[in-house]
Amino acid sequence: MRDRSLFQRMFEPPSLTEMAPASRLLTYAILILWAIVVLFPLYWVFITSFKLPFQVNDGPDFIPFVDYQPSGHAWRYIFVELGNDTLRPYMNSVIIALTSTVLAVTIGSLAAYALVRIQYNVKIGTVAGFIVLLTATVFAITRFGTPWHITAVIALALFFFFATSFGRHFKRSLGNNDILFWIISNRILPPVVAVLPIYLMFQRVGLLDTHVAMIATYMAVNLPIVVWLMRDFFAGIPIDLEESAEIDGASRIRIFATIVLPLARPGLAATFLLVLILAWNEYLLALFISTADAQTMPLLVAAQNATRGPQWWYMSVLIVIMIAPIILMTILLQKHIARGLMVGAVKG
Amino acid sequence: MPQTQTAAISRTEPAPPKFGLAEWIDQQTGKLFVLPAVIILLAFAIFPLLISAYLSLIKFKLATGGFSLNYVGLRNFKKLFYGSQQYHLLGTFDAFGIFEWTVFAAALALVAYWFFRFFTGGYFNIPGFIGRLITASLFIALLWLTLATVFGGHPGSLVVTLFYVTVGVSLQFGIGLGLALLCGQAIRGRNAFRIIFFIPLMVTPVGIAYMFRMLADMQRGPLANIWQWFGLGEFSWAADPWSARMVVLTGDTWQWVPFMFIVLLAAVENMPRDQLEAAKIDGAGSWQIFRDITWPSIAPVAATIVLIRLIEAFKIIDLPNVLTNGGPGIATESLTLHSFIAWRTQDLGGSAAVGYTLLFVSTVTCVSFFNFIGQKTRKTEA
Amino acid sequence: MAKRTNERKLGALLLAGAASLAISASAASAGEFDGVTVNVMTFTGPQIAEPLQRRAPDFEKATGAKVNIITVPFSDLYSKLLTDWATGTNSIDAAVFAPQWAVDYVGPGFLENLTERAAADGDLMADDIAPFFREFSQKYGGDTYMLTLDGDFHMAYYRSDIFKENGIPAPETWDDYIVAAKALHGKDLNGDGSPDYGSCISKKRGAQAYWAIYSIAASFLQSQGTSQGAFFDTETMAPLVNNPAFGAALDVYTDTTAFGPPDEINLDVGDTRGLFTSGRCALTVDWGDIGTLAIDPENSSVADKVGSIMLPGSKKVLDRSSGELVDCDANSCPHAINGVNRAPFAAFGGWSGGINAKADDKVKDAAYAFFSHMSQPAQSNADVTVGKTGFNPYRLSQFADTKLWEEAGMSKAAAEDYLGAIQDSLNSPNMVLDLRIPQNQAYQQVVLDNAIARLLAGELDKAGTIAAIEEGWNELNEENGVEDQLKVYRSTLGL
Repeated sequence: MRDRSLFQRMFEPPSLTEMAPASRLLTYAILILWAIVVLFPLYWVFITSFKLPFQVNDGPDFIPFVDYQPSGHAWRYIFVELGNDTLRPYMNSVIIALTSTVLAVTIGSLAAYALVRIQYNVKIGTVAGFIVLLTATVFAITRFGTPWHITAVIALALFFFFATSFGRHFKRSLGNNDILFWIISNRILPPVVAVLPIYLMFQRVGLLDTHVAMIATYMAVNLPIVVWLMRDFFAGIPIDLEESAEIDGASRIRIFATIVLPLARPGLAATFLLVLILAWNEYLLALFISTADAQTMPLLVAAQNATRGPQWWYMSVLIVIMIAPIILMTILLQKHIARGLMVGAVKG
Repeated sequence: MPQTQTAAISRTEPAPPKFGLAEWIDQQTGKLFVLPAVIILLAFAIFPLLISAYLSLIKFKLATGGFSLNYVGLRNFKKLFYGSQQYHLLGTFDAFGIFEWTVFAAALALVAYWFFRFFTGGYFNIPGFIGRLITASLFIALLWLTLATVFGGHPGSLVVTLFYVTVGVSLQFGIGLGLALLCGQAIRGRNAFRIIFFIPLMVTPVGIAYMFRMLADMQRGPLANIWQWFGLGEFSWAADPWSARMVVLTGDTWQWVPFMFIVLLAAVENMPRDQLEAAKIDGAGSWQIFRDITWPSIAPVAATIVLIRLIEAFKIIDLPNVLTNGGPGIATESLTLHSFIAWRTQDLGGSAAVGYTLLFVSTVTCVSFFNFIGQKTRKTEA
Repeated sequence: MAKRTNERKLGALLLAGAASLAISASAASAGEFDGVTVNVMTFTGPQIAEPLQRRAPDFEKATGAKVNIITVPFSDLYSKLLTDWATGTNSIDAAVFAPQWAVDYVGPGFLENLTERAAADGDLMADDIAPFFREFSQKYGGDTYMLTLDGDFHMAYYRSDIFKENGIPAPETWDDYIVAAKALHGKDLNGDGSPDYGSCISKKRGAQAYWAIYSIAASFLQSQGTSQGAFFDTETMAPLVNNPAFGAALDVYTDTTAFGPPDEINLDVGDTRGLFTSGRCALTVDWGDIGTLAIDPENSSVADKVGSIMLPGSKKVLDRSSGELVDCDANSCPHAINGVNRAPFAAFGGWSGGINAKADDKVKDAAYAFFSHMSQPAQSNADVTVGKTGFNPYRLSQFADTKLWEEAGMSKAAAEDYLGAIQDSLNSPNMVLDLRIPQNQAYQQVVLDNAIARLLAGELDKAGTIAAIEEGWNELNEENGVEDQLKVYRSTLGL
């Protein structure tokens, strides 16, 4: 600091924890540039939602009130003229995304916690037996057209019979890590492979195009993520608290609900948000499973590819109303996410 | 704080007596905790896997009152790999030139060296050998396919998907890491940047696709003036295969850089401070610091998120579907889109066959990455 | 001025709406369908969906039936309906779709037979519907399964002001079309100082582009009248693509690309319509929509500057016996006009309403009442004159009455020109019918569309394109049974 030349002052850090002005400037320049890359498309969508068709077609206008006079016509069309045809998918999206996320986080947290605290030994023989029986069931249903419920019940009964009678003869078993890897590997399965059978499955039980089908599917595809993220949060919680509670005679469920969950709150918030985003934005599965009653927002947005050329103004409105609640949610949960998401992912 | 609260609870409320049903349930909680998740995943993963395998061997036909499924054996796969749909999945081939042969030979040599190291490394085992064999053969096959179709021929949906995956994930990782390193420094407004950079992850991919169609419009989009200045006003990105693929890639990158960034930033912030400062006092250059301290400490995290992204990147569909409908020609069609288009035309068997091809390629790729690269980063850490 | 015409049009619409209320109230008495909900699926608006969405509340007020309009992208419509009905989900009670798909839906019994309902429905005024739509489009195997809401076939449009200025006559042949497109390409057509395009034809993959290639090929392939057919040999079911006629059409198709917008390959029909009505194109091939879109004061700068003609033709046609292109004479082209074989292509056949046979009776009745309501002259005559509805004229009264069109903002001359072109096409003895055999969507929307897209993208050359279509169609023929397909194909041609 004392007698440093201009060059030194620009390019050498004044101390170990501070940065040289030049590199600081460069850092800011790059970060701001990327911030523009991130924000500009959103800004463009936002202002486009207030443009009239001819304003879009006549070329780029950048600043409302200066370059062009904003108009609420697109918003009016989406909310007043279409009204119900917009609100129905919107409400579907809200219901399906929220319910499936709550369920996935609940069930996934239970499993993640159990995988951290309880040692499992699953006999390979049991697993193999299960897969064989499942294959046989599927084969019977598809090839011979046996009713699915009867076949499933018989197969399940057979499974328990074999598992209890022969299961002990198999020595090799799978541990927690194997179970975990199996759960995570489910995420590799491309939705396009899974969706046809899921479609046929719901068709068999008459649940296609219902909220139940969508919720169940979203819950299932997001479970692996919940287990993956939550496992690390639970692993980070000191075990002695639970042990002392156990000595006091509290049941596992009670320990989980009163001690573990409150401690894992940041992780829950982060996981909840991530899964909610995934469920809210999901497109492919919805495309197959829903037709009319359970149609969700991404489908409505995608459907805007009209024959009369893309209606940018309407589309922009739809995109804005799709992003808004998620951004709001992020701001609400922001405090937790900043730490939460990172801890989980870093340890993952 | 939570600790004291929960402790208070367990102290003031005495444990309920254990007997009968309640006790039995408590004993079973271990199973009850995991069982729902396992059952759901079985229903939505193993079951579809089996049915899909079956579907890939059938031909769907409409019949009175509904539909019928006729068993056709491997016909769907034959059609895709060397029948009328070969161009669609694998692409149109072109003979190898000197460049292609050089690259191919170099890759073969690399694989041979890899095996040599494995044999002489002293930890040879049969499962490891089989695993390496599968990885190597898939790698060579895909490389051959890429070389045969990208330079001269026309790549099919398989190679296009690989392009999205490899180039996309590398780009996202590179940009994400760069931003994380910058943002990890002691600068003001870090939190603001963090939140801003996080936003694209929240936008629905379908919306992103439309957004980039608006932005990429060379006549009416916000960049129109810039294009015209470059004399590109009459150029159409949608008509050229590579520029169309690049637009798809740009949208995908825009969305997924935040994910890489946010996780890598956390890793950078968790780095041991004392080592860093020690290195700085020793006068180490920034590249040296990165190589010796930063990289080893974030490598495991990096491997994990690259793996996560690999898994997700193979599933890309929304962007090409909305941006170009897979066009021009089939230039931007990913495997998932290919499969979806087959389904849309009632070719259920073909759709499942494409899906299975995708499953095979992505599973082998992801597991290979996990075993041969992901594990290594953890070892070096230990 | 522009604003005033718009207001007037709105007034006319409102008036028509009020009238419709009165009429439908008499057909389906008020409250008849209280508590009934009808899910109607169609593709994304505003076109087609817009009039349905706009009139649904009126219909609900008059009858009590709540109509939900569900929209999906055009490319998903066929399979969405099929899977919903084939799997017994039956979420969709009724749909507005392409009549050519009816063949796939009628076979397995998904579509309700509407013959009796239509016969008993006096308000529908079935006699007023042009015979082509009433007798061919709406029917399958002699029974009525659909109610036409829209009259569709391809026509060509040109900028009459620009053609006059440059002394170019309206094109009669595709060669004329190319010559005119070439001459006008790069000129400023709308006075904004930037160069515009000679020809705009929608060529986007997975959209509605695959009809354009057949609009061109039609006049090369078919010259002996409608029953000759233009897709397959009527004896062997061999695809009519591996011949110089289809090759010539492919040449025309790729040639037009040279005089089109740079991103023509990614333009949907909506985009080309927008370009044409904003004055940026000299020529286009499209359905009847251009005529009404051009007079929309909000979006068009070419009102009364549009000439409508029957699709251009060819002076050479395919001789089926020798497989060669031969010059037109009295034998080879019995229907020629000025020595040019014209073959208007009934692309698509007009959006029509069909009803799910598995829906509840009450729902079916309500759905029928809704479609009938949409089709009755009181509603239809107003809707077909408005561009954004996507509905084109299909009733005789709509062709006869130019006053309807003048009220909508067309000049008398333009209306006569537009309606004249429609009538010429409809009355042509050499009209080419669209493909109506099982799985026609796979033939056209998949095989044909893919091959054409790859041709434009440079992935295939002409011979490769022809081979790809021929191979794909033969494969589909075999999968569906050559004999079965041939039988249906012949019956659609009246053989």
